[in-house]
Amino acid sequence: MEFPAALFPSYFGAGPPREEGGPAPVAGWGEHGQVLEGGPGRRQAQPAFVPRRGATGERWEAADAAAVPVLLPSAGCWIPSPAPQDILYRSGLCRKLRAGKSGATLDFARQLGHFFVDHPEDAFGSLGQLLHKNFYLGNSKLKRPARNSTIRMTALVEDIDRLEARRGCPRQHLASRLRWFSHLCRDWLFEVPLGLLADCLHEELMQQWSNLLFDDSLTGGALAWLPPEDGGTPVGRLVHPGGKAMSHLYFQDVVLEELPRARGSPAQFELSGRVRQVAAARVDGEDFVGVRSDYHCGVWRVPGRTGAAPTPLQVIRTDVPASCLTVSPHLPGELSVCTQSGTVYLWSVGTGLQQLRHDPQTMFFRDHSPWRWSDFTAHPRVLSCADRTGLQCLDARAPKKCHFDLFKVGEEAGCQQGERVVLPMYLGRAHPSQYLVTTQFSVYVLDERLPLVPILKWAHMMQAPPLFAHLLPGNPGRSHQVLLGASRTQELLLLQYRGKRSSSRGGSQSACQLAGTPQKLHSIGGCLQHLPTQLPHCQHLLQQRLTAPAAGLAATLQEDGPHKSMVVFQLSEAGDVFCQRLTHKAAEPPAPPSRDEPTTAPGSSPLFEAPASSPQGLAAALRYRRWLRALSRACKESPRHSWHPSLSQRRLFTRRDLEGPAGPSSLQRQMRQRLHQAMREGGRIQRWEPLAVQPPPLPQALEAAGGPDPLSARLTAAWAGDWEQWWEERTSFNMAQRQRALRERRRRQKRARGRRSLSASFTSSLTYQSELSELSDGGPSLLSPGHPLVLSQEGSPPAGSPAVRSPPASPAPDEALLSSQSLRCRGIPKERRKTLRDYLSVWTEGPPEPPEPPGSQASQLCIPSSQSQLSSASQPLRKRPRMGF
Amino acid sequence: SSHEYKLNFRKSKEACLSYIQDALLQKQWKRAAEFLTCYVESLEKDYSREHIGPSEMIWRIGTEILWHHSQSSMKEFNCFMEQMKTLGVKRYLKVCLEHVFHLLCNGQIDEAYQNLSLAESWRFGEQTAIQDKEMKLIEAYRGLLDYYSWSKQKNILLEHSEDGFSDLAVEQEMHSYFRKAAVNLKEIIKIPGVWDVFVKCYVDLLEFYGDHNEARQVLNEYAYNSKFPANPNAHVYLYEFLKRQGESKKSLISALKILHDIVPSHELMIDFNTMLQKSKKRKKRRLGLEVIFAALDYAGWKENAKAWSCLARQVKQIVISEKHLDWIKQEWNSRKDWWPAFHFSRYLAKRNWQENKSLSYEKALVAGILLGKDCKYFKYVSHQGCKAQLKRFRMLKKFVNRHNPVYLRISG
Repeated sequence: MEFPAALFPSYFGAGPPREEGGPAPVAGWGEHGQVLEGGPGRRQAQPAFVPRRGATGERWEAADAAAVPVLLPSAGCWIPSPAPQDILYRSGLCRKLRAGKSGATLDFARQLGHFFVDHPEDAFGSLGQLLHKNFYLGNSKLKRPARNSTIRMTALVEDIDRLEARRGCPRQHLASRLRWFSHLCRDWLFEVPLGLLADCLHEELMQQWSNLLFDDSLTGGALAWLPPEDGGTPVGRLVHPGGKAMSHLYFQDVVLEELPRARGSPAQFELSGRVRQVAAARVDGEDFVGVRSDYHCGVWRVPGRTGAAPTPLQVIRTDVPASCLTVSPHLPGELSVCTQSGTVYLWSVGTGLQQLRHDPQTMFFRDHSPWRWSDFTAHPRVLSCADRTGLQCLDARAPKKCHFDLFKVGEEAGCQQGERVVLPMYLGRAHPSQYLVTTQFSVYVLDERLPLVPILKWAHMMQAPPLFAHLLPGNPGRSHQVLLGASRTQELLLLQYRGKRSSSRGGSQSACQLAGTPQKLHSIGGCLQHLPTQLPHCQHLLQQRLTAPAAGLAATLQEDGPHKSMVVFQLSEAGDVFCQRLTHKAAEPPAPPSRDEPTTAPGSSPLFEAPASSPQGLAAALRYRRWLRALSRACKESPRHSWHPSLSQRRLFTRRDLEGPAGPSSLQRQMRQRLHQAMREGGRIQRWEPLAVQPPPLPQALEAAGGPDPLSARLTAAWAGDWEQWWEERTSFNMAQRQRALRERRRRQKRARGRRSLSASFTSSLTYQSELSELSDGGPSLLSPGHPLVLSQEGSPPAGSPAVRSPPASPAPDEALLSSQSLRCRGIPKERRKTLRDYLSVWTEGPPEPPEPPGSQASQLCIPSSQSQLSSASQPLRKRPRMGF
Repeated sequence: SSHEYKLNFRKSKEACLSYIQDALLQKQWKRAAEFLTCYVESLEKDYSREHIGPSEMIWRIGTEILWHHSQSSMKEFNCFMEQMKTLGVKRYLKVCLEHVFHLLCNGQIDEAYQNLSLAESWRFGEQTAIQDKEMKLIEAYRGLLDYYSWSKQKNILLEHSEDGFSDLAVEQEMHSYFRKAAVNLKEIIKIPGVWDVFVKCYVDLLEFYGDHNEARQVLNEYAYNSKFPANPNAHVYLYEFLKRQGESKKSLISALKILHDIVPSHELMIDFNTMLQKSKKRKKRRLGLEVIFAALDYAGWKENAKAWSCLARQVKQIVISEKHLDWIKQEWNSRKDWWPAFHFSRYLAKRNWQENKSLSYEKALVAGILLGKDCKYFKYVSHQGCKAQLKRFRMLKKFVNRHNPVYLRISG
């Protein structure tokens, strides 16, 4: 490929960046940068000059007023990521602090408090039980003998409440009682040493906060478009993650009509972790799709012809999270992988991994970010590798010896202070030796034949750093389109650049120019203003869903004779895929009078007033209506997930088990009457013969639509009284039935996935989002204090001792209720204890309960999820999710 | 309170700016212009110590709007620029430069020249490093325009001399343009940077006046000074200069050798290879093979029929002479694990055959020798060629079959 005969003039300096900088809102406007003599030759009397920026570009116009959904929302509600208000300290004091430039204050105490309240068993388990008898939470005065060994906690609780109310008060003093209590028991009360727990929690908080500020795990985006084969039908394939935990991978056929629509059902793969990145490249007519989650990377092959099924080829596992996966555009089945420890691998499906570099340090200067990236270059054996400070190219055949610097954050590229590499991308489809590098301030186009000096630079002015980029190469002589996408703000920006071949100058390449002005495209959230007003809570849910951070970007050009259009797909973290079409208008004339839109009020734009009566507007409106309906259905389908699940033990036990001797039953009354009558009459009762002693009526069938599952069959049998017979059947070793039961349970577990509320998941667990699919979903909130188990309140031994009703707000002792010991002392037979546990474990879908040792005195928890979380607290933080590719 | 007032003012300023930004990003120039007229008020209380202050913002936004606004004219643009120049001392030179660029792009060379001269004479206290750079650029662009005037005069003079009479006044003028241009151009190319245009013009001037030593020195400096970026064009200019000077093959080869070392994928590598293949020295022919193999490593060369024919010719030569088969073997060793998939897949055989028969011929020859007669690429192409009854391909098949033992020696 030819090198431009002359480049735009520029200074070249070395060393760290000198220009002081910061986000500049308009830095990209009004500058030509440099000019170069070019254009229609020197034959004429005057030389003609072309600017580096500001040349006329192609004109693309949005066809619709907003982005339109491509796919219907998947069933089940999406769990939003934590918001700043979830983890930041909120109070007047804090605002004052922040004004004093101390940055954000993380509400550490609140999170720790959440942990104690949500997981009392993990926090205070053993001592809680030991001291159970010595703490009294009632209001009444303690009697003399008890007072020796019991303390009344009510006052302490009141003190704490008062403290909470006074938070932020400058004259805040710790109550002395609280102080001595904490002084006394800080060292021994906690199950996990407090310091350790606090460290872990703090680290997790910091991690969550930094993710909120900038989450680089999404770099590259998790959406890919596999275009149809040349000249084939306009059916491409969209590769995107989905499901509640974004752990399913879908290959969906999409027909490119006026409004792209899904065709048929997608090929689907369930993975073990959250999909962070989907990368694709076409080699020799076949698409190779690389998928990255935190600890696993996989590659699929998709044959070019439409309808061919994707085949998984290979999976690798990494010990530290992978931060990059790119697919080679040159050789089939070759990918490059980077991990956060600074290791770069060349991965070929046939031969496995080849380590090219291992360096935990950054390349050009020190930067704390563990993020690494790598991509391919014009030479199939030369890979680029990047960190926040720049890019280097390595030869895979001799990675130690052969390398050169491609881009450096420094004076070489005219960077600003504090500028960092956000996303590098090989632009091979536009030009084999060109490279795109985005930083939080600017975009650069580099040519690997002239390293370090950007051939194009432009301040993109985006509010959030562009984590996604997509290239749409233009035909020879046309400009190339580059789409930049940000995650948090959902911004989408369309840029054009060209390095066209000018025929007048002997076929040599001319230097790269930015063409046209940058253009903002519709974001997913932008459609909100066009949707009909909903009920407030629905509106809130809708808004939350539509403004979820973007998670990927893909686009395709569609040429239909003279009509050319661009379809841009955007994926959100909620798993929604929206698209918009831009139509190509004839080349932008210098100043056409018709181009200016009429002036409108701020905030609105004439684009949004697209004629709803036009057939296309109508189709979009229809699409929206269907999408909204599906969304509301998906959210209503599982209404109980929005509340804290509560269990009624009425369905678990026979009435005999539950009924306390509170009031005389009708039978008793009857008997009593008869006794009275007999006494009055002076007669005697020969036989206690109730007139109509019948078992209580069967409760309504509990089973869901799926038919009676063994559990409800068992409970129903128990209820009806022929439980013994059922047990006989059960114990007779019926293999098939057991298997079926197991399968059923697994299915339920799957279905129940993703039901926990996010704030609970975060505040109560020291785990990462990526482990979402691993965690028990309903578990943590099950034990939340606001909604203690109904079971614990009403359960009482059937033996006639008077029922002591414990006050509802003391969670700690209640947890023990489900232990085998407490169940036994409640008179629940041993085999039924197992039933109860099974039932609960279905609810909490933790790992299966180990078989109960006979006569075990150990207090075993019925909710195993909290145990697993406990262990995570004392282990290194990043746990590996289970393998499941 | 005043503090609150300031805050609110700042807030409304920011809101206004975001509206402008929104309008600009949607190409609504008129709307942006209306907001900008409001934003001008922000100049009044410009306490900001930010990276880009309101005056610069107004300059940038206003320029952008005037570039695109349907009702803007050059006159208005010039007027706006003049106002902007007075708005900030620190930015005066930058605004001047941008103004000149716009004039140049619109073909108003003379106005641009005037502006450059005016800017050049501007003085204001101590210059910052950035202003120093901008001043140098202004001078250089003026030098460039002087060069264009010079070359215009030169063309007139040449036309006249063809007619047989000389014009002393024109000649005088031409020389004065030369002096002005040379002084300024010489200055800027001393500073590290990418100065392709300036260097080219300066060398052109020097060559015209016969100062070849100076020209050579300038080009050498531009190509080999390590403070300058590794610009392939610097080497190309040097090579072209040497060629024009009728230098020996040896110096041409050494110039290209350096270019090969920094950019093995440069388009001049074909010339380099041809030059080396013709050489009598074994070492050079060997280098030629290396050069062409290295060029074909790059994706940009994948379908370059010229390069493949160079390789095919040299490989054929070596195979026929049966000398230096080890050269091929050595080159092939580092490529045999990926070239087959990169160049010689069945898919590419099909596509190359459909799109470019002569390319597929050259590639099939190389594939047949490097990978043997059973290689997919060769088999497909020779089969198709024989089916189409092309004599060339039948010969190719024969050739490869005859020399199949070579493949065993190379791969062994």
